[in-house]
Amino acid sequence: MNDPAPTLRARELSREYEGFVALDSFSLEAGAGELIALVGPNGAGKTTFLNLAAGLLEPTRGEVETGGFPAGSIEARRAVSYLPDTPVFYEDLSVAEHLDYVAGLHGVDQPGPLIDSLLGRLGLGDRGESLPAELSHGMRQKASIALAFVRPFGVLLADEPFDGLDPPSRAVLFELLAEHRAAGAAVVVSTHRPDVIAAASRCVGVRDGRLAYDGAPTEDAVAEFFEGSEPVS
Amino acid sequence: MGNGRGSLEGPEAAALKELRRARRQRFVEQIDVMELLYRVYVGAIFGAIGLGVVAGLVNEAPATPDAVEWLRAEGPALLGLAVAVLVLAGLRSGARGGPLAIEAAEVQYVLLAPVDRGAALRPAAWRQLRVAALAGGVLGAVVGNFVFRRLPGSPVEWIGGLALFGALVPVTVLAAALVASGRRMRPAVATSVGLLLVAWTGVDVALGSTTAPGTMLGEVATLPLQHGTEVALAAAGVALVLALLAIGLLGVGGILLEAARRRASLVAELRFSAAVQDVRAVVLLRRQLSSERPRSRPWLRLPSGRTAHPVWRRGWQSFLRWPRARIARALLIAAVAGALTAGAWSGATLAFFVPGLLLFVLALDFVEPLAQEADHPTRRQLLPVAAGSLAARHLAAPSVAIAAMIIVAALGAVAVGGSTETALGVGALACLPLALVLAGCAAFSATTDPYAYLFTPEIGYAVAWGPPLIASFIVGMPLLGAREAEREGLSAISAFAGGAFTIGIVGLAVLYVLSHRLSRRDAVAA
Repeated sequence: MNDPAPTLRARELSREYEGFVALDSFSLEAGAGELIALVGPNGAGKTTFLNLAAGLLEPTRGEVETGGFPAGSIEARRAVSYLPDTPVFYEDLSVAEHLDYVAGLHGVDQPGPLIDSLLGRLGLGDRGESLPAELSHGMRQKASIALAFVRPFGVLLADEPFDGLDPPSRAVLFELLAEHRAAGAAVVVSTHRPDVIAAASRCVGVRDGRLAYDGAPTEDAVAEFFEGSEPVS
Repeated sequence: MGNGRGSLEGPEAAALKELRRARRQRFVEQIDVMELLYRVYVGAIFGAIGLGVVAGLVNEAPATPDAVEWLRAEGPALLGLAVAVLVLAGLRSGARGGPLAIEAAEVQYVLLAPVDRGAALRPAAWRQLRVAALAGGVLGAVVGNFVFRRLPGSPVEWIGGLALFGALVPVTVLAAALVASGRRMRPAVATSVGLLLVAWTGVDVALGSTTAPGTMLGEVATLPLQHGTEVALAAAGVALVLALLAIGLLGVGGILLEAARRRASLVAELRFSAAVQDVRAVVLLRRQLSSERPRSRPWLRLPSGRTAHPVWRRGWQSFLRWPRARIARALLIAAVAGALTAGAWSGATLAFFVPGLLLFVLALDFVEPLAQEADHPTRRQLLPVAAGSLAARHLAAPSVAIAAMIIVAALGAVAVGGSTETALGVGALACLPLALVLAGCAAFSATTDPYAYLFTPEIGYAVAWGPPLIASFIVGMPLLGAREAEREGLSAISAFAGGAFTIGIVGLAVLYVLSHRLSRRDAVAA
């Protein structure tokens, strides 16, 4: 299922917006099968990092690559699946048409069974023909998750994907993440949720755009991070 | 980064084509083709009749040989200067991610997929170019319909030549924008390149030469008057546009996704606001699209103290934070309005009605402080000031500033050969009363609630189009009267004085309506 190039590597990554430093010399490596919980206060730079890694933003300094290919290159785009915090849809395509389209763009042959399976598992089995405007907030989030998983990837970047999900769907998302990790994918999830942090293999804390914690996702460590620790040297 | 060539063959291409086919089909299913054809048919018939009637009514006298020679020699460079300014705007837009307006979903799913971004984006670019070229061509043909009546040359030559020029200008601007966005030109570089082109064309204007690409394009507009070398230069201008277009289309895949995403949401909002004729939202969104923000440090810090009324002071504080681009745009619009008035004075009568529209657009920026009061009615209602009085006070500073712009317009008229005495005399007489009307009309538009007339669209259209039409006529009619007086051997300035009084009365009426509207709105809210 998962293609090669499962590693993400960011080196001294910085991004400024007209003098405001959103990310400052941030370095991170994610290996195959890892689930990294990216934590930090609002505005810490988590989304900026995910956007940079997805190739949606250009770094001011530093570099980020997937499997040795720079973010945004064709090879990196093939390997990286990005799940945004706000679902994005074509207003005139049904959920199933979206999935079929995205699968096609990533060269998935005969995506029908995968689409049916994803829709079924996420509780959207009877919503395949619905247009985005006909979906509730939670359903839009589930459709967005399905779009991230309907294509092959080596790295998944997910921005607060558990927000707005009901408990059964959260469980399905955990299952999907576990399956893809087992197949060798690296996953970076931005989150504030303790259950996600607990399920992660590693926790990376960001504060004021800088790497402030990189270690085990233990409750104490995370609590200490949120109370305010100095950036790691 | 991110500009690599990917495959657009195999399943990826098939998926892209299938989606486009399905969406096109869905779009066609939603429209009534016969109804659309009928509308086009009726529009074309009425348009043709209207043009014929207006052309007959205007009954322009043929231009004098001196005027024809001036147009032949100076016209291309002056038109080229206008094209160069538009190209500057195009380059700046391209440096901010324009001109393509891609859906957010297209960025998320297509541009992040392993497909050739250039191949994925070119159809959208072609679509935009086709529409712009068609609209420009039709406009050029309409202008040609009036021009051939005054100048030597056949109707076919003028209508055809100006249609070609009209189509080439937007294509040039869009192509420049495509090059800037595809090559990821920095805004400072894009501005420098654009200014260089403007300066180059300015040298042509000063020397009467044809060396700049814009001037070469200007030769196309005056083709029926040109011969020999000028015709070859016009052909070179067309070739340059096509080359620029090819470069722009080839590099379209280099677009910055960050800019594309930002534009996606803004353009969607802009389209909706334009559809519901929400002038205020259109102004705000256009500023966001061009990243036009107030300066953090004002050009001049007003001295503290309580000598001036706070609303008057607040108005000037707003103008003193205008970014350079907005100041340049205001000055340019005013100068172009003046130049058009001079052109109308020398015979192109219909052009009398364009400066009012331009000055109305300019005034929309000046009434920003009042518009912000309307944006936040709760804040306004908490002030211990009557809404009508507040509106009136808010128009004082904009009126003075717009009056200064009208003087700039008068100088613009002088710059293109208008009589200094008449232009400055009329400008001095007109500036304050006209500024009051323009500020009032702009304030009326900026404070209109677009959703108030959802169930009475006819009234909605009248409310939306009334202010610009009033501005057009209130500027155009007195000037037309003054010109006619001058043609009869009377003093144009004396003739305009009577008109200035009428303009002042209209200004007070607009102010009354505006004050009444805001007072009534507050009363309903209370």
